Amino acid sequence: MSSLTLRNLQKRFGRVEVIRGVDLDVADGEFVVFVGPSGCGKSTLLRMISGLEDVTDGELRIGDRVVNEVQPAKRGVAMVFQSYALYPHLNVRDNMGFGLKVRKVPGPERERRVAEAAALLKLDALLERFPRELSGGQRQRVAIGRAIVGHPDVFLFDEPLSNLDAELRVHMRSEIAALHKRLGNTMIYVTHDQVEAMTLADKIVVLRDGLVEQVGSPRELYERPDNIFVAQFIGSPKMNILPAASAAGFGAQPAGTASVGIRPEHLSIVAPDRGQLSGKVVITEYTGASSLLHVALDSGETCLVVIDGDSPEADARVGLVAASKDLHHFGADGRAQRNLHG
Amino acid sequence: MIGSLTQSQLRLVKQVCWTISLCIVAIPFVFPFLWMISSGLKGPLEIFGQPSLIPTSFRWNNYVEVFNYQPFARQYFNSLYIAVTVTALTLFISSLAGYALARLRFAGAALVALFLVSALMVPEEVTIIPNFFLIRWLGLSDTHWPLILLPVFGPQGIVGTFLMRQYFLALPKELEEAGKMDGLSRFGIWWRIALPMSRPALAAVAIITFLNSWNLFLEPLIFISSLEKFTLPLALSNFTDPYGSPLWHLQLAATTLAVVPILIVYLMAQRQIIESFALSGVKG
Repeated sequence: MSSLTLRNLQKRFGRVEVIRGVDLDVADGEFVVFVGPSGCGKSTLLRMISGLEDVTDGELRIGDRVVNEVQPAKRGVAMVFQSYALYPHLNVRDNMGFGLKVRKVPGPERERRVAEAAALLKLDALLERFPRELSGGQRQRVAIGRAIVGHPDVFLFDEPLSNLDAELRVHMRSEIAALHKRLGNTMIYVTHDQVEAMTLADKIVVLRDGLVEQVGSPRELYERPDNIFVAQFIGSPKMNILPAASAAGFGAQPAGTASVGIRPEHLSIVAPDRGQLSGKVVITEYTGASSLLHVALDSGETCLVVIDGDSPEADARVGLVAASKDLHHFGADGRAQRNLHG
Repeated sequence: MIGSLTQSQLRLVKQVCWTISLCIVAIPFVFPFLWMISSGLKGPLEIFGQPSLIPTSFRWNNYVEVFNYQPFARQYFNSLYIAVTVTALTLFISSLAGYALARLRFAGAALVALFLVSALMVPEEVTIIPNFFLIRWLGLSDTHWPLILLPVFGPQGIVGTFLMRQYFLALPKELEEAGKMDGLSRFGIWWRIALPMSRPALAAVAIITFLNSWNLFLEPLIFISSLEKFTLPLALSNFTDPYGSPLWHLQLAATTLAVVPILIVYLMAQRQIIESFALSGVKG
């Protein structure tokens, strides 16, 4: 097991700057998830840690070793790829033991480690099968098994569940969480699915345009986002952002507030005359456990509201209320007001 | 009447029609082959007598005479070992070169590819004279070296390289990266991941190369002068009487023998050949 330290890490492809100075500390045994929109550099950052991409500038440490120039296989990391990258000409046993064979681990030891990982991942019965004979979930487990047998210090996952169907994704998500609990290794996980990030992570790193927007626990990011980008990226449906003037009905705002954020699940529907804000229901989306309402406010903005139970009909006039503790205030630069005022 | 047929009867009629049509189309391809086998079992006079596919008497002795007339066994072996050597070397070099052109980013890669394509456009006959002088200068005349080196580094090698390149282009990048993570070098990735995965393409290159080397006539004609160093195509043209007229019965018996390895190779690998051509065509 090992910690990970990134200091001013940069990556350029020609003139294009993809990672623009990332600083990050990952503690030993921590489960860290990189999230961000497409093209934000999360996969590139993971590949830099793995050694598949060179570091243009900055320092990358695994444990107390600077590994900028160290070959991927000698960094003590193992990677699980989005496409699983199983060798199609080898069966499950050989796929899992391949890395050990390359590293000249003796046969009996190799067999022992493969059997151990296979038992852990319930792959015992599949060891003689070829990848083409496995389902998506089984392939995923083999890919994880291949990573496990090398006893790496750090596991790297590059969107490992994105090729699975929704049900299997939920199942594999819990298996990965259980695996982390059992092994206790440092794990870095890349995803664009923020539900995956919220459920798995000890710590989430939100990236945008090659820069870290915020690092924190899922709860911190959800409850105290540093800026509008993080506020809207974390949480589904995304946070409503209203101009300060339109949100005046919610009560007093700190000086310098340019916009106010409120999550759809923190708004409640009341009678129009009793609401802090009021408007008209434009669309109602029934999702089973709850409904998502699109409410056109009298001030002109559209606000999303999640409600349980019966929802008002479209075109109905409604009032909206929110607790002041659930309001997020942002300055003109998009940063949270608490930061402005310490 | 057709309207009264059931679906299965209609299908049967269609199938019979197709089979008959295909048999008719196959005649021009199969007939010369059958004629060769038949004439190889006839006497010299019968070949030019009443045309018939079935010999009046089977002259198995033709096959004995073939070996007595000239060192045919030695010549057969020459062709075999040259074809096998050329195939093995071409597989090695074209798969390495194809991998490099498909997967490595290096300065001038496009230029190299262009250079190779342009080399393919030069007819072999144009290069035979400079090659002759080159081989003579190297002191390799009347040896088998030119029959090995020229195809390996010539058109066959280039065709093989392109076929392999097309195949390697479709190789998922993640597999190479997984190999790197497992500790493989570039060479290791080629040897332990790319090559085992490209068996259909390798089979196709092997077949094409083997056939070409087996049938090579111009180069042996130019570079080989000793009878015991002849390869099969030269040996076949050497079944003549003292006046230079072909001894057809021997020539055709020997040709029948010459076809055997080709048939074996093709029958063994035809599925992979078709697969490979399909893959390189679609994915390339």
